[in-house]
Amino acid sequence: MKRLHRFFQTPEAIAGALILALLVAIALAAPLLFPGDPQAIAGPALLPPLQNWSLPLGTDRLGRDVLAELFHGARTSLAVGLAAAAAALLVGAVVGTLAGFAGGLIDEVLMRITDAFQTVPSFLLALAFVSIVGPSLGVVIAAIALGAWTGPARVARAEVLSIRERDYVAGARVIGMHPLEIAFREVLPNALPPVLALSSVIVAAAILTEAALSFLGLGDPNRVTWGGMIAEGRTVLRTAPLLSIVPGIALVLTVLGVYLAGEGVVESTAVRRSLS
Amino acid sequence: MTVLAVSNLSKRYRRGGKPFAAVDDVSFEIGPAETLAVAGPSGSGKSTIARLVLRLLEPDAGRIQFEGADLLILSGAALRARRARLQMVFQDPLAAFNPRSTVARALDDPLRIHGIASRSERPRRIAALLERVGLDAGLAARAIHEISGGQRQRVAIARAIATRPSLIVLDEAVSALDVSVRGQILDLLLDLQRQERIAYLFISHDLGVIRALAHRIVLLEAGRVAESGDARTVIASPQSAVGKALVAATPRLNRIKTP
Repeated sequence: MKRLHRFFQTPEAIAGALILALLVAIALAAPLLFPGDPQAIAGPALLPPLQNWSLPLGTDRLGRDVLAELFHGARTSLAVGLAAAAAALLVGAVVGTLAGFAGGLIDEVLMRITDAFQTVPSFLLALAFVSIVGPSLGVVIAAIALGAWTGPARVARAEVLSIRERDYVAGARVIGMHPLEIAFREVLPNALPPVLALSSVIVAAAILTEAALSFLGLGDPNRVTWGGMIAEGRTVLRTAPLLSIVPGIALVLTVLGVYLAGEGVVESTAVRRSLS
Repeated sequence: MTVLAVSNLSKRYRRGGKPFAAVDDVSFEIGPAETLAVAGPSGSGKSTIARLVLRLLEPDAGRIQFEGADLLILSGAALRARRARLQMVFQDPLAAFNPRSTVARALDDPLRIHGIASRSERPRRIAALLERVGLDAGLAARAIHEISGGQRQRVAIARAIATRPSLIVLDEAVSALDVSVRGQILDLLLDLQRQERIAYLFISHDLGVIRALAHRIVLLEAGRVAESGDARTVIASPQSAVGKALVAATPRLNRIKTP
């Protein structure tokens, strides 16, 4: 309760939380408000917004309901963003913990692999991965995570390096605990807070990467995505600019919301630390 | 029959590129139910010896015989199994436990790892351990950071005796406690030694505490043994310079009760 109260102290955190709550509501309501296929033709093509009240945001080039696409696109963006970030944090935390805790050769090998991944631009990596394996939701998530796990790995390793010298790690060795159990049960949970602080940035970047992949036609073709909508609208940018602008605004708001809420969380935990 | 026999133990570190000996050619023995104190000023190698004996650090030279077998040739699962007999209590009881741990989990770990009690039996064993060190069994559900420093050190002792060890290394185990708690913990340690015949390797810089607990003493200076012998004799009339300096720095000596 106290923590929640502290979270809502800053206007940024409140704004971020409101945007995120709205997005989650939209994503959850999408199949209820717009049952059926959002990619089905719903009316005449290129109907401008606010003309027909059953299609408030009009239709796109193929006559699909833009509002329905927007709602269903929120599902994809959030799902991909959260899943990719979770995968990246999990892989990064595990790799960083192993490298930092084991030290020596294992550390060297794991960190050189991390370097290799970091020297390649993450978007290029995702692009190459999706074009080789083929676009589907799972592949897109994996492709984004592939470029995002290095940050958490480095932070986790740095934290583990300081934690492994603590007495309670020596104590765990003294009672005969297996090194892997020490690494993942004693060390990793205590190294997590600074790693989790990266999550908002990673979620925001993942949502943008997914949109960019979809824009380039490498998203899952069976799902509506905001990036795909922008790409669709691009061909009629002069006559119907709103087809690109509306999903663009949704994208900006989402990333902003995730980022602000993440800042709020970091801020509230920082206050807690300085008080104690 | 000795519990622990350390001979010619050496450990060198590099400080500023130059090697220096933290522990230099140190030998000692501890018998069953005996307390050997290792004393000396800061940086004399006391804690390094504790960590070497526990295989938390690897020595550069020397032998460590524990219960008649070479401890230094063990590794992996064999070493972990051996650790049941060789335990440690740390100086700072707060740092010695995982900050996310509860009392029950801290005591459950050694019982589980060494297969001492089945899952269903462990809560009862944990309660018995807590009562053995003079704590209420209801404390088990509390988080480690919720109990007092003295209670925490009792939990640390309970964890150390959970696997029925023959030797416990006490690395400044009472130094961080306030004076009233310190006496109670020392009483508990003496009682455990009488009942369970546990030997102690007692690392300390406090000669008053050593005189109350230890049978024999090894005085270290710069990693080397400066003086050793019966604890009360050495403290009463130290021969080495470091012994005289330590005795001079202990003003409360005549007020400590002897066992």
